[in-house]
Amino acid sequence: MNKSLVKNTGFINWKKKLILIVLFGSLIVLVIGIFCLNFGVVTITPRDIMHLLINGTQDKTTNLIIWQLRAPRIVLGALTGAALSTVGGAFQGILRNPLADPYILGVSAGAALGACIGIAFQYITGYAFASYLPLFAFLGAMLSLYLVYKSSKISYSANSTGLLLSGVAITFLFSALITVLLALSRRELHSMIFWLMGDLSAANWKKISIILLPVFIGNAMLFFSALDLNALSLGEEEALHLGINTGRLRIRIFLIGSVIIATVVSFTGLIGFVGLIIPHIARLLVGPDHRIMLPIAAFLGAVFLILCDILARILLAPTEIPIGAITAIVGVPLFIYLLRRKNQ
Amino acid sequence: MHFLKKFSVIIAISIFLLLDLPFLGGVSNAAEYPLTVIDETGTAVTLSKEPQRFISTAPSNTEILFALGLGEKVVGVTNYCNYPEAAKHVEKIGEISPLNYEKIISLKPDLVLAYGGFQLKDIPRLRELGIIAIVLEPLNLKDTFKSIKMIATACDISDKGSILVDNLTKRVDYIKSKVSNIPISSQPKVFVGGTSETIFTPGAGTLFNELITMAGGQNIAASLSFWKKISPEFVAEAEPDIIIIPIGVMNQEESSKIKEIVSERNGWSNIPAIKNKKIYIVNEDLFYRAVPRMVDGLELLYKIFHE
Repeated sequence: MNKSLVKNTGFINWKKKLILIVLFGSLIVLVIGIFCLNFGVVTITPRDIMHLLINGTQDKTTNLIIWQLRAPRIVLGALTGAALSTVGGAFQGILRNPLADPYILGVSAGAALGACIGIAFQYITGYAFASYLPLFAFLGAMLSLYLVYKSSKISYSANSTGLLLSGVAITFLFSALITVLLALSRRELHSMIFWLMGDLSAANWKKISIILLPVFIGNAMLFFSALDLNALSLGEEEALHLGINTGRLRIRIFLIGSVIIATVVSFTGLIGFVGLIIPHIARLLVGPDHRIMLPIAAFLGAVFLILCDILARILLAPTEIPIGAITAIVGVPLFIYLLRRKNQ
Repeated sequence: MHFLKKFSVIIAISIFLLLDLPFLGGVSNAAEYPLTVIDETGTAVTLSKEPQRFISTAPSNTEILFALGLGEKVVGVTNYCNYPEAAKHVEKIGEISPLNYEKIISLKPDLVLAYGGFQLKDIPRLRELGIIAIVLEPLNLKDTFKSIKMIATACDISDKGSILVDNLTKRVDYIKSKVSNIPISSQPKVFVGGTSETIFTPGAGTLFNELITMAGGQNIAASLSFWKKISPEFVAEAEPDIIIIPIGVMNQEESSKIKEIVSERNGWSNIPAIKNKKIYIVNEDLFYRAVPRMVDGLELLYKIFHE
């Protein structure tokens, strides 16, 4: 009786907060997204862009640049940033490890191996398979997911160390296989390395339509586990006492998170750092409650990746800097600044 | 006499016109647009009119365009297009991969000459955006000639393409005929090295290997395929007579420094090329790019090997 009362008042408070966060967050992402349509290697005036957005008519090139290049890239950046940050936050929760990121459980290594095999396959079979690369990456990710899941079950009935070690072991194994492939490769070497660095430049609406649902549904599912994650953050035993099957929770979050990440990285390649640092920044800003922290992380991640991609595009234009480098160069000072401020 | 003079003027004018026909998009054998060519990816690319604005996404494509006299029409090249001199002043589209689609679109090209290999993944997107792209991927002499002819055909200057290819073929054939008289036993063993500790060398299937063989040399790495990392031991055991070091920018001072470094490598003192000071620093662009200039590379190798 007493317990449910406490939960209820908390619930009302939290519900209001959440609605505010979602409304405000969406608005900010939208405004920043539209604002960022202004940036690119080609100069298009804000007036032309407003004209295009409102009246729809402009010359063909402008139309193409805004609607087929800049807009999908911004949307893909936002989705990717949101997905990586939420999953990173959830993984840090289930593993009770601040160094966890979306890639730590092996899914990225699987996707990378799949992509490298796909690229090698392209060169062997000719050009017919060029557009199936994301499929290879996704299958690779699923394979690593399966292996991590199986080996964690065998070794330690899915406690956090077991899962973590299985993930790290599979990551090492797959990375070694990638290294072998890279050593054997000849002309395909460049493509593989570019894939491993992550790239949003190939964004288009079709890709977005494929990843949109998994990201939204997956994030929602992670979000509905927020209370359980809160309980787990008190400690393994405490969570068990609250009636939570921590083993199952961990496997559930691991599977959902990995599917989200697999879908996203299959199209973008490995964009590093976002999923590690944004959840921490969210935690520094709003505290450790996963019900608030996860959505904040999603919005922060979206904004952060959109802005990083803009920098990647314009700093050395027309040369593009790999986005993974920008996320770290911009993110680390920001993170250290927040950390210092918090400690003061 | 007077008549003869007039006649010769007429002849001169008509020769001039004939030679110029390809440049002017001559009437006599003008191609009919729309015109379709099958590119290296097997894609049928249709051009609705004669292309006037070209973008090249690879240094080799740029060189071929300029060699065909289409340099004036090139509106975009990559950061790496450094030949001929005029190509350096064309607007840059950025890196070779990933392609900067926005920059490419903004230059409004009629035709993009793309490269296979690592640009393969970018090509579908390029075409999706409504850009007409011909993909080339010459990996040997024969393919290069094919590429030259393909571009010439697409631009309605096939005569000019044929003349260029014929000239190059003649030069290649001349070297070939000279080499055919040299017995294998007196062909030097050749090692292509670099300046770094890690040795990557071109094996069978590379343009470099083809040029070495054609110029009458024996590549010590011919048993390997494509570019391979090899150990210093492999080189010491093969005892090459000549060491070729392809390099980008260079000057006299650097060259002698590089020769020194290579000569002083551990365990290589017995290699004939080092004992006889037969280390040659060459311009890498002549051997890495499948372009008309590689015939210069071939002639250079022949000179090094046999003169």
